[in-house]
Amino acid sequence: MEAEELSRALAPALGDRLTAVEPFPGTAGRVRFRPDGALDVFRRIHELGFTHLSTVGGIDWVDHREVFYVAWSDALKQYVFLSTDLPADSPHIESATSVWPSADWHERETWEFVGITFDHHPDLRHLLMPDGYAFHPLLRSFKLHEPEELEVKVRHV
Amino acid sequence: MGGLTMAAPAVSTAKASAPVETSLPPELPMAGEPAVPFVEIEALRAQQFIPAAKEALGALLAEQGQSKLIRPVFNWAGRNSLFPLHWGLACCAIEFASAFGARWDAERFGVVPRSSPRQCDLMIVNGTVTWKVAHKLVTLYEQMPEPKWVIAMGNCATGGGPFRTAYSVVPGVDKLVPVDVYIAGCPPRPEAMLDGILRLEQLIRDRKE
Repeated sequence: MEAEELSRALAPALGDRLTAVEPFPGTAGRVRFRPDGALDVFRRIHELGFTHLSTVGGIDWVDHREVFYVAWSDALKQYVFLSTDLPADSPHIESATSVWPSADWHERETWEFVGITFDHHPDLRHLLMPDGYAFHPLLRSFKLHEPEELEVKVRHV
Repeated sequence: MGGLTMAAPAVSTAKASAPVETSLPPELPMAGEPAVPFVEIEALRAQQFIPAAKEALGALLAEQGQSKLIRPVFNWAGRNSLFPLHWGLACCAIEFASAFGARWDAERFGVVPRSSPRQCDLMIVNGTVTWKVAHKLVTLYEQMPEPKWVIAMGNCATGGGPFRTAYSVVPGVDKLVPVDVYIAGCPPRPEAMLDGILRLEQLIRDRKE
């Protein structure tokens, strides 16, 4: 499947929730969408046969944050790359767990490290960090701490 | 043994808090009886058995003169049968494992790795300790019976190593448990680990209290 074909398959159902579909190396295409239409995009992509969610991740671009999804189709033997931009002051997006249950841990990790909140996630808590950890350590605003400083903050939370 | 019947489960025995002299230790339940919860066994152990054992040992030591007779025997036995609980968290565990292979054969010093903290008196932390695993390490340390020692093996366990300022790493395991011997190296060779164990044996030999 090429990007044009993907665009034709998505555009009628999604309308203006779809921002762009562009070629992306190694995948069927890179789908950009508006964050408020995320769940419709996920459902449509799932209907096209991309039934396995391989990765969820986030990027801190300082002025905004990007969240991306990589889904795999067993029938097409192809990935598809979804991404959208979120405002830096309140980055939140609908959880993909209702479409791909495997998004659970990926979204927990993304929330933990990049601070993107996933609405209606069944269990949005720490995955790799201890409970009560006070930072989102992959944000650009996170500064490396002196060991003692970090220790006190972690212990007293 | 048949005379010691337990009228009620151990729960109520612990709550009765009768004077220690008169209360008999409860028997473990026979097959078919309701089992004693693990928490209750722990509470009994802490409230009755450990103080009783300490009292008996203290009386024995006071009677025999502890620094002259009993203590050297204990130290001799302890330093020749160090049973380590190992924390294979990173590459130091590979060196730890090879130290128990045929070439270095750490068992000739009486060092036998065990799988349960209840059987161990030495904790060897070999690897990078993260904050996520920190409270589990403290829990297992507290489960080890006294007397107990800790060896921090490698730079990560000693001071955090190259990850010292990282967001997730404990900068040295001595922030969590008291450490007796530090072994430098990244990772230390098995000879260095054996040297650390021999130095710990020297510490135990000189132990007075």
